[in-house]
This record gives sequence, C-alpha cells and structure tokens, in this order.
Amino acid sequence: MDLSIVLTKSPDAAYRTYDGQATIVLPSRAQVSVLNEVGSAVWERIDGRRSLQEILDGIMEEFEITRDRALTDLEAFVADLRAQGMVS
Amino acid sequence: MLDTVSRGLVAERMTGQDRPIRTDFNPDASWFASPRPTFGRSALALRIGPLRFALEGLSDRQRDRFAGQYLPFLDPGPGTPDLTLRMTRAGVDAFLVQQAGGSEVYRMPARRDGEARRWWSYEFAGTLAGDRRHAELALVEEEGARFDRGSENFLRALTAEFILERGGLLLHGAAVVRRGRAYVFFGPSGSGKTTVTRLSPADLVLSDDLTLLVREEGGYRAAGIPFGMAHHHVPDSNEAFPIAGMHRLVQSMDVRRERVTGAAAMAEVIASLPFVLQEGEDPRSPMENAARLLAEVPLWRLHFREDDAFWGVVEEH
Repeated sequence: MDLSIVLTKSPDAAYRTYDGQATIVLPSRAQVSVLNEVGSAVWERIDGRRSLQEILDGIMEEFEITRDRALTDLEAFVADLRAQGMVS
Repeated sequence: MLDTVSRGLVAERMTGQDRPIRTDFNPDASWFASPRPTFGRSALALRIGPLRFALEGLSDRQRDRFAGQYLPFLDPGPGTPDLTLRMTRAGVDAFLVQQAGGSEVYRMPARRDGEARRWWSYEFAGTLAGDRRHAELALVEEEGARFDRGSENFLRALTAEFILERGGLLLHGAAVVRRGRAYVFFGPSGSGKTTVTRLSPADLVLSDDLTLLVREEGGYRAAGIPFGMAHHHVPDSNEAFPIAGMHRLVQSMDVRRERVTGAAAMAEVIASLPFVLQEGEDPRSPMENAARLLAEVPLWRLHFREDDAFWGVVEEH
C-alpha cells in the first residue's frame, strides 16, 4: 500500500462518534456502518491532509500495536472504506 | 474495523405488470411551477401526533373516503395547520414507470429546487414550498389503488419531514401500549413487527409499521400515523403515550433482550428511518434527533419467538 496517499471523507458521509466508536451514514448507498475503536480513530484522522503514513503512526502510538499488525489492519480497512464509497 | 449494520429498508416491492417499456418522467422545476386543477373544493383537517395537516382541493368522494379511513385522526380544530396541502390532478398518466416483468423496490426520488423540496414516484409528484407552510400533491388518478398509494406515500414523507423539525422521528416500527406506556418494536420488513402486535390482542396497538416518536416536555412519546397502506393496521387512537423502551426485533428460538448503546444503537435507529437512507437526503438532522432520543430512551435488541413470552422480558424493570 502506498502510504503517501492522502484520503478524503466522502461528502455524502454523515457520522457521529460515541465513546470512541463512529456510526457512519451514507444515504446514497442506503448504508449505515459502525466502526470499532481503531477504525474510528483512523476515520477521525482522515481529513484530506494527513497521509496514511501519519495515520499509521498515530494509531500505533494510540493503541500500542506493532507496525505489522497496524499496517495489515489499515490496509484492509482502507480497502473496505473505498469499496463502500466512504472515502476517495 | 467496519461492520455494516443494515442497508436501507425495502418498504414495498412492486410487482411487474404487462406494460410496454417506457422511460421515467422526472418532473423538473418548471413542471412543478405550472398550475394544475384541483379535484374539487372539499377539505379535511388531520392531526397526527403534534402535527396538523389541512388537505384541500379534494372531491367530495375523496374527502369522505379519507374521513372514513383516518377517522381517529380527524382534527376537531380549531387550530392553525402546520401545513396546507393542495391536492391536484397531475395531467400525466405516470411519473416513474415500473418496467414490465420482474419486480422492483418502490422508488421515490427526492430533490431540492432552491428552498423547495420535491418528491415523486410512480403515481404522484409532490412539493413542499420554501415557506414550509404549503405543499402540493399532484396525483395521476382520482381514486383507486394508485391514488391511495401516491397520497399515503407523500403524506408519510411530509410527516417524516415535519416531525424532524419538532425534534422527533418517524420510525419503521410498531408500538403497543400496555399499562399506559408505549413499547416500540422496530426492524426491517419481516423482522416481526406485525407479529408482535398480533401477539398483543388485549393491548392498544398504535401502529404495526410506522410510529411517530414525539419529543415533548417531560420526555418522548409514541403515536401512530394513519398512512399505513391498506395491508397495515390503521391505529385506533391518535393519542401519544410515554415510551417505555425501544426494541430492535430479532427472531430467535429463545427469548431475551440485551441493551444496545452508543454507535450501535444509533445505527439501529438510523437504519429504521424511512426517507433517510436514500439519494438526496441529509441524515444529519435525523442523527441529531436520534442522539437526543437515545440519551433518554433505552434501546434493546429483543430476541423473540412467535409467542407472547417476550412480554415477560420487555416488562422487566
């Protein structure tokens, strides 16, 4: 995965975070999703400015997980977000 | 990291008919702006929860039919309506066209033209003016199933729109009143809403399909709405009752409930709101209202089987 990529949230996605977990609503896809704490931390950091590398560093620090584990999870998660039209 | 809780609800599935393939007519702003004749000069006032709707431009026959169908919801007045809805003849034989063969999910696109909101479907096109006090419903037929379906779908959309402004929600859910408190049961089609009402023969059923969640001083109340379509229960009462709890129905062999909070509870509610999960809608205001509701009203996932044992669980304190 190219970690220099900068992602932007879809303008259609409305979200709210409760106790560290985000609910994301995408009306155009008739879809409601819930993110776990790590997913929500990634989602919060997707702001059209931070690169995936910066996001990776941030979640490794916040959740005290290894780089290999964080990278594998992030890769899968970003693929999910893209497939579901939540980011571009 | 990501769990897709639920996709949009299929409110109704259309059955294919033997019609030639034609294209949809999506009315534009100039179509909505052009004048249309009404059906007649009769009028009717409805009170749905806290909302007052005045319907005008009806034929005598249409008024009598509505009055019979919506009897508990007739507004005894006096009172200023929140909205005056003018019923008109569309002058076309269809807007959206259902394709021959197969079936399709009932389509109802929505759009904003400036300040005005528009909705249209197979048998109607409706607009809510920018002043939010006036609306027009143009129908392709004067009576019959297409008239009923078009008028009920538009009235439901207006109800959902207006209750949002009052801090409430229109939920795809059933509501049953027991000992003065409303128990709300919700979930997609087939989850058991009608079953729950059938298993509560001695209780007051506010709705088996669509329930208004009304924000009032002192807490949230549940009320029925009369626009339930022919196959759903028209409520016996237009009273609103304090909500004891919300239950997301899950069919199961055992009977138990588990509390759902936070992001998961929000997802369950949003996934059960008609007219939110569709193109052109903005879910922010429904999410705000749902967050306030969930701060006051508990939500459970109710595992239930087809007998009345669930009441022993939901009435626990």
